[in-house]
Amino acid sequence: MKAQMKIQQMAFMIVAVFFFFILVGLFFLAWQSRSLTTNFEDLQKEQALSSIEVIANMPELNCDSEKSLCLDEDKLNVLTGNLSNDYNDFWPVESVRVYRIYPAFSESGKKKCPSLECNYWEIYDSAQELNEQDESKDSSTSHESSQEFSSYVNICKNMKEAGYVYSKCEVGKLVVGARLAE
Amino acid sequence: MKLRKLNKGNSRSGLGIGRSNLSRPKRSQQEMIGFVLIVVLVVVALMVFLVISARKAPDEKQSVEVENMLDVILDYTTSCATVFEPQFDSVEDLIKSCYDNEDCDNLDKMACDYLNSTLRDLMGDLMATESVINAYQFDVVHRDSEDLEDEVLKVEGGNCSGSVQGASVPLVVGSGDLVVRLRVCKEA
Repeated sequence: MKAQMKIQQMAFMIVAVFFFFILVGLFFLAWQSRSLTTNFEDLQKEQALSSIEVIANMPELNCDSEKSLCLDEDKLNVLTGNLSNDYNDFWPVESVRVYRIYPAFSESGKKKCPSLECNYWEIYDSAQELNEQDESKDSSTSHESSQEFSSYVNICKNMKEAGYVYSKCEVGKLVVGARLAE
Repeated sequence: MKLRKLNKGNSRSGLGIGRSNLSRPKRSQQEMIGFVLIVVLVVVALMVFLVISARKAPDEKQSVEVENMLDVILDYTTSCATVFEPQFDSVEDLIKSCYDNEDCDNLDKMACDYLNSTLRDLMGDLMATESVINAYQFDVVHRDSEDLEDEVLKVEGGNCSGSVQGASVPLVVGSGDLVVRLRVCKEA
């Protein structure tokens, strides 16, 4: 009887210790997977930011070769116009848009540039281009989705006042749409 | 066989110091040691669990995103000209002018006052376009050669909830460095 009790006691103890270590293992695994997800998201964000930097530093948009994350307002105005159609195959992304953030001219939402007191440049949009080219194509067959990444940039313009030329920089946001395979 | 069993029985009961009597305290000692070992093991595992779960996230995480934001803010051209109009100061120049206690020639305002109001407006507009940012803190401190810091300017807004991300940029001035720090609170 005593021996049976001892065996039972031992068995219960082993089961309890086993469950305890299983719980500790589960906790450790959950913690590891959580940090892995965070690291993956951080890496993805960094990659997106470096892609944005590459686009912002393209000579077609950049205001000064020595300055990073700086867009030339005159170049933006040119690329928003009719010339942008010639660049449709050039952009390695789905869409390129630039917003003027500060000083905010338009109180009532977006006002497309080039125009007076505008705050928004649409440089390129592949969806619009596709619609224009072939409206009959069914886009639902595509297994790709688009995600937008953004970064703050300076929108600079060369000004001339009283014979003195200076660069006036404002704060803007470059929004780039990237195609993600599902 | 019978004889052997008899002898065995005699040796146990007869002398009163049989094997079972001898091993009982030893076995209980072993059990106690085993129990203590298990308790110690469990306590150590619990301590590890507590340390990991109670370990706080770092107060501030350096972020490329915030660094870009700070660089863009520093390059913004203000309407303040400390030397002559139209040589307008950027925020970076204005921070240096503020440290030197200069004023805006064209606005009849002190550089520090103008910088304060510009930063408040600018950060307000940035927060309005970035829904995940709920608070910010913009600091300028002077750091001398002995690494002692002296506050030059502090602009803050919003109520912080979530993780804090930050970045800093050193600006060289005559005596030491001006360190510009931007911290933003982002909702999880």
